Amino acid sequence: MAATSQSVNLPLRRGKRGARARRVARWFYLFIGPWLLGFVCLSLFPLLFALVISFTNYDGLNLLSVKFLGLGNYLRALQDRNAIFALQRTMIFALVSVPLNLLFSFCIALMLTRERLRARGVFRTLFYLPSIIPIVATVWIWRLIMDRNFGLINGLLSLISPGTAVAWLVDYPTMVLIIMSLWIGTGGAMIIFMAGLQGVPRELEEAALIDGANLFQMFRAITLPLVTPVVFYQLILGIIFSLQILIEPILLTGIGSTNGLMTTIPPRPNYMYMVHVYNQIFSNQRFGYGAALLWLLFILTLALTLIVFRTSRYWVYYEVEQEGART
Amino acid sequence: MSLRANDNERASTTGAAFSSVGQRATDAGRAQRAIRVFLYYGVLIAAVAAFMIPIIWLLLGSLKLNAEFRAYPIKILPRSPIWNNYYDALTLVPFFVYAGRSLLLALLYTVLVVISSAFAGFGFARHRAPGRNTLFILVVAMVMVPQIVTIIPQFMLYSRLGLVGTYWPWVLWGIAGSPFHIFLFRQFFAGFPKELEDAAEIDGCTRLRVFGQIFLPNAGPVLAASAIFAFQWVWGDFFLQSIFLNESHATLAMKLASAYVDPHGNPLYTQTLAAVVIYVLPLIVVFFLAQKQIVRGVVTTGLK
Repeated sequence: MAATSQSVNLPLRRGKRGARARRVARWFYLFIGPWLLGFVCLSLFPLLFALVISFTNYDGLNLLSVKFLGLGNYLRALQDRNAIFALQRTMIFALVSVPLNLLFSFCIALMLTRERLRARGVFRTLFYLPSIIPIVATVWIWRLIMDRNFGLINGLLSLISPGTAVAWLVDYPTMVLIIMSLWIGTGGAMIIFMAGLQGVPRELEEAALIDGANLFQMFRAITLPLVTPVVFYQLILGIIFSLQILIEPILLTGIGSTNGLMTTIPPRPNYMYMVHVYNQIFSNQRFGYGAALLWLLFILTLALTLIVFRTSRYWVYYEVEQEGART
Repeated sequence: MSLRANDNERASTTGAAFSSVGQRATDAGRAQRAIRVFLYYGVLIAAVAAFMIPIIWLLLGSLKLNAEFRAYPIKILPRSPIWNNYYDALTLVPFFVYAGRSLLLALLYTVLVVISSAFAGFGFARHRAPGRNTLFILVVAMVMVPQIVTIIPQFMLYSRLGLVGTYWPWVLWGIAGSPFHIFLFRQFFAGFPKELEDAAEIDGCTRLRVFGQIFLPNAGPVLAASAIFAFQWVWGDFFLQSIFLNESHATLAMKLASAYVDPHGNPLYTQTLAAVVIYVLPLIVVFFLAQKQIVRGVVTTGLK
C-alpha cells in the first residue's frame, strides 16, 4: 500500500506531500469521529465513573450524602461470603462449559471438513441455527425440555419409570445452564473452526500421509498445531464471556413467571458472580459496592486472560506468514 | 472468500487420496469402509438430531392444546395441530404493539450502527494518521470487553440523565458504532485495490465522495452482514431492554419472557409458545436468505 501511494505522489513536491498527509489525517479523524466520541462517552467515561464511585457509598439517588470510603468496598467484597460463593460457582461453570464447548464444536468442525461429505451445507446450517435464536426463546425451549411437570425429559423418563419428576431446573440448574450454553455456542465456534481447518495447507497433510503417517498421526502433527491460534482465540473469548454470565441463569429460573422477572434470584448453584453484582446494584441500590465488585471481576478476567496468553507460547503455533487462515 | 469453493477443493483432493487406497481394497475392505461411512454419518446425524429436537419440541408445543401440553403420560404429537394458538398469540395481547417497538428499536440501532461503523471502518482501512494503530488496537480490545462491564455504569449515568425508559440509549449506541462491526468493515475495505482510489483522487474527489461512490457501492455483502448482525442483536436482546425500558415501553422480548395468562391468571403455555415461534421466525428467514454473508462475517471476526 505504501509503495503504490508513493508512486502516485512522486510528481508532487515535498511540501504538498506534508499537506496531503495532514489532510488524510484530518479525514481519518472525521471518519472515526463518531466511534471515538462514543468510545470516550459510552465506554471510557462510564468505566472511570464506576471506578470513582467504587470508592464511595453512592446509592444512585442522593449525591449529597456520598461519602468517600477508600478501599472499603473492595475490602468488604473480600469478606462477602455470597460474592465468594458466586465466584466459585462461576469458575466451576466456566471450567466445565468452556472446554466442553471448544471440544464439541471442534469435533463437529473436524467431521464437517473431512473428505467427500454429502450435505455439508445442511449440517453446517443446522448446527448454526441455535445460535441465532434469541435468548428468551432459547430459555423457553430449555424450560420445555427440563421442566419438572411438563418437560420432555421427565416425560420420556416416565415412560420407562412412571412418575419420574426430577426438578432439573431447581436441583441441577448448573448442568442445565452448561447444556444450554453448549447448544447456543457450538454453531459460531464450529464455523470459525471450519474456516481455520480449511486454512491448513492440503500439501502438508498429503505429504504426511505419503510419508506413512496414519490419519491420527497426521492430525496430531499437522492439522492440530496449525489451528491452535484459532483455538487460542476461542478459548480467550470463552473465558471472558462465561465469567460474565448473567441473564441466562436469571431467565432460566424466571421465564414464564408473570411478574418481577428481573428480580428473580436463581437457585443457589446458579447464583453466578454477575447475578450477585446485579442484585447489589438493582435490588439493594448499592451502586458503589456493585461498581467495586464489577472492577474486581474486570481485574480477575484480565489476570486470567494474561495467564492464558502466557501459556500460549507452549502450545500455540504461530506461522511467520499465515496465508491460508485469511480467507 | 468463498467457503463453498474451498470445501469442494478440499473434498476432491483428499477424496482422491482416499479412493486410491480404496482401489486396492478387497471386498472385505469395501464392506469395512461402508461401515465406517455409515458410522460417520450416523454420528453426525445423531448430533444434528440432538441439536434440532429442542426446536422441534417448541414447534410441537406451539400446536398443542394446553391439556395435551401437560398430559401424563407425555404426548409427543398433538392429536390435530391447533393453528388457533397462533391466532391467539397475535390477539390475546397487543402483539403488534410489542413487535412494533422491537422493530423500531432494531431498525433505529441497525441504521445508525451500520453507517457509523462503515465510516470508522473506512477511516481505519484507508487512511494513514498518527495514532491510527493505537486506536485500532483499542477497537480490537473492545471486541473482547463484554458489554456488561460498561452497561451497568452506563445505566447509572443514564438514570441520572433521565434517559432510562426512552429509546435514546439505542440511538447513542448506534451513533457510537460497534467495535465488532468496525472490524468487519475495516477488514473488507482494506482489501480494495489502491488504484481505484488514486484515480478518484486525481479527479479531485473528496474522501467522502471516494467513500460514497467507490467503497460503499461495492460493500454490499459486508453491509448486509453488518445490518443482519445488528438487527439480530437488538431483536434478540432481552437484558438491555429489560433494564433500560419500562413496562410502558415493553418490547416483544420483554413481553414473551412471561407467559400469556387467561382471565383467571393461569398461564396459557401453548399460546405463548406460538408467540415465541412468531418472534423467532423473522430471524430464521433472514438467516436462510443471507446465510453466506452471515457465515463470512462470523469467520472474519473470529479469525482475527
